[in-house]
Amino acid sequence: MVLRYAGLYGEFLRQRLKVLLEYRINFLVGALSTLVMQGASVLAIWVVMRQVPDLNGWTLAEIWLIYGLLTLSKSINHMFADNLWTLGESYVRTGMFDRFLVRPIDPLFHLLADRFCHDGIGDLIIGLILVFAAAPGVAIAWTVPKVLYLIVAVISGGVIFIALNLITGVSAFWVMDSVPVIRVVFETHEFAKFPLAIYPQAIGILLTWLIPYGFASFVPAAYLLDRGISPAMAWAAPFVAAVLFTIAYRAWLFGLRHYSGTGS
Amino acid sequence: MIAAVRRQASIYFSFAAMAPKMMLAYSIWVWMEFFVQSMGLVIFVAFWTAVYADQATIGGLDLDQTLKYIILARIFAPLAMNTNMVFRFGTMLREGQIGIELLRPVDFQAANYSVSIAFILTDLVMQIPLAIVGWLLYRFQLPTDPWVWTAFIISALLGNAYVFFFDWILGCAAFFITETWGLSVLRFAIAGFFSGALIPLAMMPDWLRVIATVLPFSQALYVPVGLLSGILPVSDAPTIWLGQIAGILVLGFLSRQVFRLSVRKVTVQGG
Repeated sequence: MVLRYAGLYGEFLRQRLKVLLEYRINFLVGALSTLVMQGASVLAIWVVMRQVPDLNGWTLAEIWLIYGLLTLSKSINHMFADNLWTLGESYVRTGMFDRFLVRPIDPLFHLLADRFCHDGIGDLIIGLILVFAAAPGVAIAWTVPKVLYLIVAVISGGVIFIALNLITGVSAFWVMDSVPVIRVVFETHEFAKFPLAIYPQAIGILLTWLIPYGFASFVPAAYLLDRGISPAMAWAAPFVAAVLFTIAYRAWLFGLRHYSGTGS
Repeated sequence: MIAAVRRQASIYFSFAAMAPKMMLAYSIWVWMEFFVQSMGLVIFVAFWTAVYADQATIGGLDLDQTLKYIILARIFAPLAMNTNMVFRFGTMLREGQIGIELLRPVDFQAANYSVSIAFILTDLVMQIPLAIVGWLLYRFQLPTDPWVWTAFIISALLGNAYVFFFDWILGCAAFFITETWGLSVLRFAIAGFFSGALIPLAMMPDWLRVIATVLPFSQALYVPVGLLSGILPVSDAPTIWLGQIAGILVLGFLSRQVFRLSVRKVTVQGG
């Protein structure tokens, strides 16, 4: 079954690339645009941080690590699950969602595989640049377990992003246009670009336990840097991601049961 | 003569009147934008407060000046960010709407400028709740000198027109590449940094400040907000206006020439 879905994903991806390459310049500019978008924020932080010794005790390299981990997690969501944003506008409202229900594959898989988002490549590149740029400047002994943890943390972060977008995106089955609902929750990830310690405590709790973007950035970075995060807390990331995705998938199934086509 | 001017004004006013209706049609979007912007404000205030924890000044600005500038820059960001001509050109081309637009017996550029101004004014009205949140978070004092407000309003209008003509030239790329989503995101990212929406130009190293000065975006945001927040002396206003007017004349002329040449490549899609 996994192989069948992997093969199907490859086929969807091939078709998507054909569509994207129809407008070649837009394809290239689109991939570049996210790079520049993230680059602008990174440049702004560099401009400020080069003039101060640290941010609440966090050096520039440590902030790169936090920012880079978050951007890598975000890139997974951006590349492979961006279609959750358009569920209401492009599928439910137009009636196009009906075709997912009559095909012999999982509708959620079909929705996600229907559009690989090349804009996310820019996020991936910036995330990698930041983590590699941070590595020599931070006090981390890079052992195999730590590198493995980093990979697990990034994938867990990506799943957390997808799960939160899925939970909010399901609202499309009732309100048609789900973008505002998704965005209100999604934009809180902006907090997680910096050490949570710079915010009021309530925001730190919110970003760790309610909307857990903290597990995609601050928690793994602080653990790797040995800054007060216990191994148990750090390794909770994959479990948080799994629990959140289970909740999200149940919400999706609940939404599916209440879906009624718009007709045509 | 007066009747003809009135008639023309009423035509372009009709175009402009569509903008608030479009923007306010879905109230959930208005509230979402308010929430997202307010959250951004909280992040900015927390970030800058942490930055200044052990530092009295950065780039010659103290914490009060920086926070005041940053909050005002977020409130007035639509001046530099929202002319959106690149995206609009792309949409008109993709959906085939460009055929109808070009056939209308009005000046295409003037009609789009009316719509752009209306979008920005509507956006600024929608920023009022954000201004209240900003004031509650950080009780900054706005200037009481009417000359400062006059300098701000004139430089904001001129700076926005400058950016509009720049965007018009950029938007003409749509006639060649048809799909402009990527280009509009790219423009948004560059404008976000070089307009001074993220950090005041005074904090940038020289090489970045030169680029920011060459590009038009700072004229629509950093300059007017700099005047309003006191970063730029109001006595500089006449020199600033002259520079902006020169930019408008050059880019205004160029934009019409570029459009005249580019529109020959138009493809009206659909049927």
